[in-house]
Amino acid sequence: MSYKVLVVDDEAPVRELFGELLKKAKCDVTCVGAGEEALCVFSEHNFDVVLLDIKLVGMSGLDVLKKLREKKNDAVVVMMTGFGYDDGLIAKSKEYGCSGYIGKNMPISQIMSSFHMFVSAAKEKGKK
Amino acid sequence: MKFFTKEAENLCNKLIDNANAFMFYLDNKGEITMCNKKSEDLTGLARKDILNKNWLDVLYGSDSADIKKQMFKSVMEDSVTYQRNNNFEGLFRDSSGRDKFISWNITPIASDRGHDGTLLIGNDLTLLKAKEASHKKNDDILSNIFASIKEYALYVTNLQGKITYYGMGSEVMFGWLKKEIIFKDVNILYPEESRNSLPFIFEQVNISGKYEVEIELVKKEGFSFPVTLTVSKFLNAEGKLKGYIFIAKDITERKKLEYQIFQAEKLAAIGQLAAGMAHEINNPIFVISGRAEMLLEGTDLSQEARKDIEIINSQADRIRKLVDSLLKFSRHNSKQLQEVNINDTIEGVLSLIGYHKLPSHEVEINKDFALDLRPVKADLNQLQEVFLNLFINAFQAMPNGGRLGIATKNINDKFVEIQVGDTGVGIDSKHLKDIFMPFFSTKKEGTGLGLPICYNIVKDYGGDMFVVTQLNKGTTFTVRLPFA
Repeated sequence: MSYKVLVVDDEAPVRELFGELLKKAKCDVTCVGAGEEALCVFSEHNFDVVLLDIKLVGMSGLDVLKKLREKKNDAVVVMMTGFGYDDGLIAKSKEYGCSGYIGKNMPISQIMSSFHMFVSAAKEKGKK
Repeated sequence: MKFFTKEAENLCNKLIDNANAFMFYLDNKGEITMCNKKSEDLTGLARKDILNKNWLDVLYGSDSADIKKQMFKSVMEDSVTYQRNNNFEGLFRDSSGRDKFISWNITPIASDRGHDGTLLIGNDLTLLKAKEASHKKNDDILSNIFASIKEYALYVTNLQGKITYYGMGSEVMFGWLKKEIIFKDVNILYPEESRNSLPFIFEQVNISGKYEVEIELVKKEGFSFPVTLTVSKFLNAEGKLKGYIFIAKDITERKKLEYQIFQAEKLAAIGQLAAGMAHEINNPIFVISGRAEMLLEGTDLSQEARKDIEIINSQADRIRKLVDSLLKFSRHNSKQLQEVNINDTIEGVLSLIGYHKLPSHEVEINKDFALDLRPVKADLNQLQEVFLNLFINAFQAMPNGGRLGIATKNINDKFVEIQVGDTGVGIDSKHLKDIFMPFFSTKKEGTGLGLPICYNIVKDYGGDMFVVTQLNKGTTFTVRLPFA
């Protein structure tokens, strides 16, 4: 299944890699490098999924998530971080309404399958 | 005294008057017929008031019913009756009100008429007695001190370093019995490497009177242990240097604590560093692995290029795992506490071992689980991490197969104790103090984080972890976790 995906990461090599991986998975991908930019792009286009780095220069990933939800946007948001799992951040992200959490400390194949799992689970839930 | 010439009599009186003793001559009825000048000091009476008085009334007063007076009287009677010398010692208050300790010598004088009289000569021993008393007091204090201290050892050597006194506490501290060690060279208590330090210590004591040092001493069984050693001069009564007094205080516990604090601080610093680094490292590694995997998915790679990229990928993976371990090591804030049954946890981890591609087929696993094992309160993932690390280490210690023993039990009504023992290569004793230190590893591919992670986790729950090992026989790790 292909989705319209927004990738938000302040590191170009990371977002480019995600971009290419997702394109390979037949997704329609847009990549941006900052939280403010993400909110801007989001207001112009509809995205099914947002892959959002938690640590961004300027506005943080959590702030972006909060703003998205304030706009009553129900896109599936998957948070990611260079840290491993962090219960504090997971709890906060869930509170703000994220669908899943990916650590960039996992192998790529695992990251991608986690990503697909979260998205389809969220979509299923949305349908119900 | 008619048989003296006048000259002789004068000389004799002078001698008697100037003698440093109290002198009385009593007639056969006990009346004082002669006394010297010094006796005026004692009695506070002028000579004319002493003479012709009963000797006991002069020394004690006529109304005194002192028991000492009675005793002195009987001693005197004994001398008179049996015509023999006697001594009598006692306290007498002098004219200025000071108590004096006087030793009296009673000498009866007889002629052919029978008992003529008695010579009573008293020596003032007050100062001498005071000295003796102070010595005795010091001895008492010392023996009290020695009796009350257990973690101290006191021993004395002569100038040649031979043990001449091996005091209380020493037998307990060193394990040598007094009879085994007395007159042996004190170097017997020093580990080989510090034996040449004694002349230096003696020199320091000679210069500054005292020397204090933290040093390792050695027990009879050969174990060395840390002490603070205070060495001072041993002087004889004349103040001449006769040897050295050593007081050793066992500071093993303090050292242990210091080491733990040092460890904890070091670990905390590493943890902080790790958390800071993790993000910065994970991102580039993520990109490297991702790119490598994408390339490997392509079909147009030469075999050589594919092999190189696979190496890049596996090495990037290694870094990723290292960072992951570092994070696990440093992370304390993400615990989900629950009551955990350790037996179940261990079973779960054992089933994972296949997944970790360990040569478990060559290893026999013996489980000895207490069925009534109490639960502990902990984060399940962290406990799994602990046992996984211990099991992986055990398997790696047995490359040619062996036996992995896992036992659980409740101990002291307080802890769950888990023992993980292998029959592997063992740990070299020189490495033992380092195995819980981060980045210490004897394995080629080891990160040096496995055991430190375990240790941190166990300590974090108020538990303890230690190891017993024997080269080429095996190693047993013991983990203790408090009951939930």
